[in-house]
Amino acid sequence: MNITELKYLAPEIIIASGICVLVLIKSFHRLRSINLLSVLIGTLTPLIALLSMVFIFNNPYEIILNGQVVIDTLGSGLKITAYGLCALIVLATNINQINNKSELILIELFALLGISILCSASNLLVIYLGLETLALSLYGLVASNRKSVKSSEAAMKYFVLGSIASGLFLYGISLIYGLYGSINILDFNNLSVDTSIELQIAIGFIICGIVFKFGAFPFHSWVPDSYQGSTNSVALFISTVPKIGAFALLYRLLIDSFYSLSSLWSSFLLVIGIASLIYGNIVALSQNQIRRLLGYSAIGHIGFILIAISAINQTAIESSLLYLLIYVIMTLATFIALELLSSENKSIDTINDLKGLNNSHPWVALMLLFCMFSMIGIPPFIGFYAKWIVLSTLLKMDMIYTAIIAIIITVIAAYYYLRIVWYMYFEKSDIPLMKDTSTIIQKSLFFTIGSSLLLLGLIPETLISLIGRLFNQIY
Amino acid sequence: MLLNTIIILPFIASLLIGLLGKDYLRLNYFIALSSSVILFLLSLYLLYLFDPLSNEYQFQTQINWITQFNIQYYIGIDGISLPLILLTTFITPLVIMTSNTSQKKNLHQYLAAFLILESLMIGVFSSLDAFLFYIFWEAMLIPMFIIIGVWGGTNRIYATVKFFLYTFLGSVFMLLALIYLHFKTGSYAINDFYNADLSLNEQIIIFLAFLFAFGVKIPMWPVHTWLPDAHVEAPTGGSVILAAILLKMGGYGFLRFSLPIATEGAVYLSGFMIVLSLIAIIYIGMVAIAQNDMKKLIAYSSISHMGFVTLGCFVYLYSSNDSLNLETTNLAINGAMIQMISHGLISAALFLCIGVMYDRLHTRKISDYGGVITVMPKFGALMVFFALSNAALPGTSGFVGEFIIILASFKINAWIAMMAATTLVIGAFYTLWMLKRVIFGTVVNEKINSLKEITFIESLPLCLLATSILAIGLWPGPLFDLMSNSINALSEFILSKAS
Repeated sequence: MNITELKYLAPEIIIASGICVLVLIKSFHRLRSINLLSVLIGTLTPLIALLSMVFIFNNPYEIILNGQVVIDTLGSGLKITAYGLCALIVLATNINQINNKSELILIELFALLGISILCSASNLLVIYLGLETLALSLYGLVASNRKSVKSSEAAMKYFVLGSIASGLFLYGISLIYGLYGSINILDFNNLSVDTSIELQIAIGFIICGIVFKFGAFPFHSWVPDSYQGSTNSVALFISTVPKIGAFALLYRLLIDSFYSLSSLWSSFLLVIGIASLIYGNIVALSQNQIRRLLGYSAIGHIGFILIAISAINQTAIESSLLYLLIYVIMTLATFIALELLSSENKSIDTINDLKGLNNSHPWVALMLLFCMFSMIGIPPFIGFYAKWIVLSTLLKMDMIYTAIIAIIITVIAAYYYLRIVWYMYFEKSDIPLMKDTSTIIQKSLFFTIGSSLLLLGLIPETLISLIGRLFNQIY
Repeated sequence: MLLNTIIILPFIASLLIGLLGKDYLRLNYFIALSSSVILFLLSLYLLYLFDPLSNEYQFQTQINWITQFNIQYYIGIDGISLPLILLTTFITPLVIMTSNTSQKKNLHQYLAAFLILESLMIGVFSSLDAFLFYIFWEAMLIPMFIIIGVWGGTNRIYATVKFFLYTFLGSVFMLLALIYLHFKTGSYAINDFYNADLSLNEQIIIFLAFLFAFGVKIPMWPVHTWLPDAHVEAPTGGSVILAAILLKMGGYGFLRFSLPIATEGAVYLSGFMIVLSLIAIIYIGMVAIAQNDMKKLIAYSSISHMGFVTLGCFVYLYSSNDSLNLETTNLAINGAMIQMISHGLISAALFLCIGVMYDRLHTRKISDYGGVITVMPKFGALMVFFALSNAALPGTSGFVGEFIIILASFKINAWIAMMAATTLVIGAFYTLWMLKRVIFGTVVNEKINSLKEITFIESLPLCLLATSILAIGLWPGPLFDLMSNSINALSEFILSKAS
């Protein structure tokens, strides 16, 4: 190992040190001020890691640590996104007793470390390492609301299912090793298409692992449960940042290594994508618990992303990443709104709690309206461009029937987003006004992200060209 | 620049109103009203600068927007879009003027929603880039959804969700067609779509995709069912905008997209379109007779009248024996345009009238009224005038459009013309019968006696509308002159592609 190679690992090292500092501070005191200190560390660590990326970002393609880690623009871009998101989320999280006792920020940093590893791993075992770091932190996060039975139940379910998925994934890896005698993904670049049953099973198992991380049908059942069981603060994290990790996982395994076998896995993804799209959106129609509803809606959105990837061409991957980023921004804004409106005693759980929001908090209601219409895919909001670019990709690849299914489901899905809008705007509230306990930071964050849904929609070129830049190196 | 200002101004005004909030009621009302009046004056200035002799797009602005996909912010107007923009800027101040009379919660949001809607509507009529058009077209759903849902009647939520889902389903198919055309031509400019090289099958499919979007919006039978619900539940202002302008977007879409892009598809399906139009005219007209809710009656009458617009758009393509005729085409499209403008004015006026009565008695049922003219003579006179123009009385604008379209149909096929002409009987039947039961007759209950005559602020919009209906009815020449060159160019283009 060359000592200069360490500079490429600066962000991971920074996060790991941040975690250590936080653990040390936490073990000495349990004061209120410590709480603020942990927020500070939780915000600064990802931000410093993000700054350290500046020096790496424009570097050429680099393989370090004997081929264990690869540094490329896409991985760096994903890392930057994840760090930025994590800093935002820590800032937006309510500082209260539950979150403090459960070491929320600490676990979130652990998860971030896992994602960071996933983004640049180029060895199947390192990928597995990142995956498990992420997964274990997420189990902890889901279980963090110790007072709630639902939370424990969700965590238990998630843990059992997650272990099975990890087991399958590991089995897939071992089959691959058995077939090719290597676990370095760079060795799989130019495999000839081979339809042996072992390879198909191996790819199938690996896809199971990926799909589980995304939470797509048929490995979706943990998503609504864990969203519902956790608090808004936790849902804010688990609905956004891990999706970046899942995309990195998918990209490293399917695009970066097994691209030549795309004929094997693309139809898999297409079927899973369509199934998630239909299942997630149809089931969401009847939900009243708002986080559960957003959980099912997430399954639907993931379906869109998988369908886009299954189209297999250059724009397919770009458009799916664009969709993912836009989805993350929309979800972030939505959950920050819920977090903003929740306090320690009263949390926003069902859509009934949003009744009459337009009268008590007109601007929050307006921003949530932006989020909802953006999720439906109504222009000029940013969500429209996500749908449009995926539809463009599908039509370009002559997948007209898939496109038609996608738009019909989009129209059906509009109903439950509209329902949230109608509860906020058309219904009268039967409970007294919610007291505003949110901080000024939370508010300004929320309004920045919320209005960016509109502003980015007016100048979508920036986002599209940014994504294009990440992929420059590859083609 | 002027056109850009016209698009952006209402949006800025609505932002201002939103920031001021609900505490500055009068100021908000003043801002909304003055900005929309200024907008109308600006659009008159636009009319003054507009050169009707040229058939080019005027007041063009072309800025690259999303270069990766060759999408531009590209706007401009011609003789087809200008009258519709004028209609929009004319109707909106009237709606805003009357918004203060009925007690409304969150008036500032109501005003802001209408101003945003106005911005988007003008955007739809002036987009020359299909992508931009789609953005304006879809974004319009948001303020309309809110307007019906927040300030509507008892069953408003059902109505507004139905409205949203119907129109959304229609327009997503259009989006697919636009993306497809983009891959065919490498651009989103409508002009480039006109020269796209498409096979007959492709044209038919694209035509059907557009038909979904525009047919729902117009609305055509059998996808019209959202309209009566939306009209009945919407607040007066919402109904006015819906009937006067939103429905016209369907007709505008046919003229701007379907006909020039998928001409052969349109020729192939012209028989089908004519049948749908005739069903709308005759069957929906009969349905209107049976209504006992005034708003529903006018809503069905709108569908029936819009049937004339679609008939005018497609009838000339259905010529069995001889070749397509430029004169007939011009006549039919002119008729369709006049019918759109005239229906915009008349339906707006009728909905405002119903709004006036509803504000007083809070019922729209025909049976709750009777003998209104005895207590409200001025109002009664206006209402009679609008009802007569709805029944296409000669001398009103309603007559001009329908007469021209019947004339054009007669040149194609006498049977089509005869069936279309039945509307003169059916239309007269349902409007006059409603008039008899609501305005004339004996006073049915005490509440009628307590009705107050309309105020100045209520009568001003009605008088303005009556004047313009009469003006177009008696002297449609200037309107024809404004449109003729653009329509002629469109007809020539359609005929050159069709043959």
